[in-house]
Amino acid sequence: MTADVSFWIVQALNALQLSMLFFLLSVGLTVIFGLLHFVNLAHGALYALGAFVGFTAATLAGSYWAAFAAAPIVVALVGVLLYWALIRRMRSAGPMNQVLVTFGLIFVFLDVFRIGWGDIALGFAEPELFSGRSELLGVVYPTYRLFIIGLGLAVLAALSLVLTRTQIGAIIRAGVDNDAMAACMGINVERVFFLVFCVGCALAGLAGAVAAPVLSVTTDMGTAILIPTLIVVVIGGLGSLKGAIAGSLLIGFVQTFGSVLAPQLAAILIYALLAGVLILKPAGLFPARG
Amino acid sequence: MFHQTPLKTATVLLLAGLAVAYGLSTGFFGLELLTEVAILAILAIALDLVAGYGGMISLCHGALYGVGAYAFGSATVLLGWGAPAGLAMAVGGGALFAWAIGAVTARTHGIFFIMATLAFGQMAYAYLFESPVFGGNDGLPGVPRLDASALGLDLNDSLTFALTCLALALLAYAVSAALLRSGFGRTLVGIRANEARMRVLGLPVWRHKAAAFGVSGALAGLAGALAAQHTMYISPGLLHWTVSGELLIMVILGGLGTLVGAALGAGVLVFLKHEVSRFTDHWHLVVGLVLIAAVLAGGRGLYGQLEHLWERRRAARRAPPETPAPDEETTGHA
Repeated sequence: MTADVSFWIVQALNALQLSMLFFLLSVGLTVIFGLLHFVNLAHGALYALGAFVGFTAATLAGSYWAAFAAAPIVVALVGVLLYWALIRRMRSAGPMNQVLVTFGLIFVFLDVFRIGWGDIALGFAEPELFSGRSELLGVVYPTYRLFIIGLGLAVLAALSLVLTRTQIGAIIRAGVDNDAMAACMGINVERVFFLVFCVGCALAGLAGAVAAPVLSVTTDMGTAILIPTLIVVVIGGLGSLKGAIAGSLLIGFVQTFGSVLAPQLAAILIYALLAGVLILKPAGLFPARG
Repeated sequence: MFHQTPLKTATVLLLAGLAVAYGLSTGFFGLELLTEVAILAILAIALDLVAGYGGMISLCHGALYGVGAYAFGSATVLLGWGAPAGLAMAVGGGALFAWAIGAVTARTHGIFFIMATLAFGQMAYAYLFESPVFGGNDGLPGVPRLDASALGLDLNDSLTFALTCLALALLAYAVSAALLRSGFGRTLVGIRANEARMRVLGLPVWRHKAAAFGVSGALAGLAGALAAQHTMYISPGLLHWTVSGELLIMVILGGLGTLVGAALGAGVLVFLKHEVSRFTDHWHLVVGLVLIAAVLAGGRGLYGQLEHLWERRRAARRAPPETPAPDEETTGHA
């Protein structure tokens, strides 16, 4: 089996697709970490919220694209509420309190999902445009998964363009690097924080809606993806886009190939990877601040 | 810094008295709850020791607890060495595992420390979840309780077992308090306050951090061995990171860095969960909101708030009434 080239190609595509999902989640989380110094354990819950909102939108409108549009918007709006109610006050409260408040949010969201959508796993169909399979590099692969890979790459390209080539990107990088100095230069850091937080939430919601047709929509999907996402962020280094990319690819490939090549070890591998990185490079592979 | 104040002593005695009175007056189900509270109190005290006094916010105490339970379970069920050896293995195993984690993570701080402990805890969880030797996902049933008939105790009796766990919780408190009042404990608090300065003073910081984590792990291992005997069944669920998260909730609800608060928090959370589940399935929602409210209210926790009010009243009484301390109001909101 492992000698077959198509096996490797299919698994590499699987890994890439998982990596892109991690990327959509971790990029928001890492910039929120880097810019706001905020530990948001509820990021996974926002991803799940995106999937649930997507489910409702897709069922009501009868089209996948309704989910694709509604999930990021609704989740970003919830993010606005969270920001005004909680996040702003918790900014300077230290990691312990942030972990606890957002852990409390995980609990709240969990029961909100159970009350709103029930305990049964839900799902909705992929768009007709991307249903079926297509041929790539000599292997047959589900088109929708290729769409996820493409979407991840598109978001990646857009974000890196914004961050490196535009003024707002320069402001964000300055804020990550030294927020006090950025504020001294006349930048309204608070407003940049708010904007970044909303974009991060929208991307989490988008990831939820995109993942829903592949994975099923369950109340614990947020907690399940939270830990790998946090690992991606910490391995990559807080606050850096490069770190989020590297971490996502690393975890995506290790997890996918680990589970097909060494199923017993797979679950331990990513934790061992995290522990190893933290011991050798305590600030992650590509920390935003040198 | 830790001080065994009269208020603390009174709270410990009051809690112990309440627990004994509750144990003597309640039925089987109440005793199960009481046992759970006593075991979790040991675990919460262990966590407060490192989190509250050492500044090491650990997300692996659930795993240490589980390692203790599995050490006890494998010594009794798999190896047939008996419960005393199991207890020793649980305490030793917890201490050793925790010491190793503490030594390796001593260089990391803040969120990186939290994530590193999470990683090690989840590694243990993932290993036990997959491992066929320890029963994997199904866990290990048929864990026996310690035979203490030599002491005239029958631990298979719910009341005796509950009171034994309670006594051990008091012992855990006494050990932690004694440790914190020793030179080692003062050093630990010094590291939390200013690690760089302690290092400059020539202190091998990592060794102290690892040792503190080891002691905490020994207590967590003890709690795990008791939990294994309580339910007579162990499963990987004990090690999951959400257990560690709930422990942090207990500590913050009761009061971080107060020791007695951790035990109080364990009691409050267990009974809150129980009471809420009588009315609704959605205890997560209630606990989540209570937690958020507790942190927003200043994060002192129940005992911490009590101590804060007590200190303020004492300060006010000491100051003459015509010249009130000018910064009294501002410190109240700090």
